[in-house]
Amino acid sequence: MSGREKGMASNVSHQGAGNGLKLVLAWGFVGIPLAWGIIETVTNALKLFH
Amino acid sequence: MANTSYFSRDRIVAPPGYSRWLIPPAALCVHLCIGQAYAFSVFNLPMTKLIGITKSAPGDWALTDLGWIFSLGIFFLGVSAALLGRWVEEGGPRLAMFTAALCFGGGFVISAIGVYVHNLWVIYFGYGVLGGFGLGIGYISPVSTLIKWFPDRPGMATGMAIMGFGGGAFIASPLSVWLMRQFSSPTHVGVAETFLVMGAIYFCFMTVGSVIVRVPAPGWKPEGYVAPATPKKLVTTKDVYVYDALKTPQFWLIWWVLCLNVTAGIGVLGQASAMSQEMFPGQVTAIAASGFVGLMSLFNMGGRFFWASMSDLLGRKNTYFVFFALGAALYAAVPYTGEIGSVALFVLAYGIIFSMYGGGFATVPAYLKDMFGTRYVGAIHGMLITAWSAAGIFGPVLVNYIRAYNVAHGVAKAQAYNVTMYLMAGLLVIGFICNFFITAVHERHHMKVQKAGAEASA
Repeated sequence: MSGREKGMASNVSHQGAGNGLKLVLAWGFVGIPLAWGIIETVTNALKLFH
Repeated sequence: MANTSYFSRDRIVAPPGYSRWLIPPAALCVHLCIGQAYAFSVFNLPMTKLIGITKSAPGDWALTDLGWIFSLGIFFLGVSAALLGRWVEEGGPRLAMFTAALCFGGGFVISAIGVYVHNLWVIYFGYGVLGGFGLGIGYISPVSTLIKWFPDRPGMATGMAIMGFGGGAFIASPLSVWLMRQFSSPTHVGVAETFLVMGAIYFCFMTVGSVIVRVPAPGWKPEGYVAPATPKKLVTTKDVYVYDALKTPQFWLIWWVLCLNVTAGIGVLGQASAMSQEMFPGQVTAIAASGFVGLMSLFNMGGRFFWASMSDLLGRKNTYFVFFALGAALYAAVPYTGEIGSVALFVLAYGIIFSMYGGGFATVPAYLKDMFGTRYVGAIHGMLITAWSAAGIFGPVLVNYIRAYNVAHGVAKAQAYNVTMYLMAGLLVIGFICNFFITAVHERHHMKVQKAGAEASA
């Protein structure tokens, strides 16, 4: 593998890792509040039905 | 010359290697916030006691006057989506999302001032007009971007965003109650401070969405995706100009499809609590009925993602056939569940009905994309949202007046909803017929290549 190819492969791997972190942050940012809201609603609904 | 301002479309073209899975959270940042509209009613009761604190006093606002805040918000959602759709498409999603953040967050701040000075007109303007513009612009802002990023699964992509609109109330409702509790005191209800904090939170949250969002580079396709060599009969590869879409029978048939599907759901949604108690007297208490409403909201939200994703497999037209056929059968079966006193069957029937109500909202952007192409799908979707506004009037009026008429004519409360259920089933049958007549858009409505290029570079 030439030096240039190695550099490109390394860039791709960095990009993949960066994307992975961004995805976790972005989905966590919207997923955590939504999960909290759903849990609150389900908990209330279950309490009420009991 | 390329426009390089921070908000321009050119500035947000994704670099190679950018993950398209970052776009749904960007869209959810906006839709989870504007979905707060469904939870606005938690403020109604506290706002009737701003002077009296523990109970309404002379000079306090009446519930009927406060109801107009939500109605104005939904009205201006429709107006802004219809009027500003083309601007949203051409300005790009970042500008649209940030504008929506300014309007929606600003609407809360102005409403806080309205509460502070005790002037309802200021709140009508703040949440109703300005907030309503935020709702409309925010609702359509990510639609075409998602469709362009997910040409292989457009239903699922838009379903995810529109599911956020259904889920926003789950966050807003407990958050509003918690904030009001923190800010309340023996001499103060805490609504103004809650509005201020929520305005700031929503502005920041929506702005994050506008920062994350990117548009795909021209000609970009998902890895390994090959467009079908022979497109399906009802899926066009051409674009229809936003105002030309209005001249097609397909637009108006889809308008009725959405309107009838929403009318059938929205009227019952507002009456779900009372209906469950009146149809099952002694079995469903007021408290259990609130749990039932919460459960229906979950079905509504889940159905948005489930049915929109299913539409990628079934096709849009077939998915609406399922909504109308199954919905009509279930509405017709609801009186029977009351007759046999089966709460479980009643809840199951309504769960499926509300999942399809949500599914109708979430599947329609992909239906429009199939019919009119991707170029102006957001703007066309904006104009179609007027069907929702119309349904918001038809649905509750039909349910409330028919029930009142029946009760006034001696029908027992437990059976007072039967006629309404059969009428809703009838509306869905009409929707089925409208859907049946939807065919591919005639090629004379397609944009010419030169015009498409000129518009795209505008």
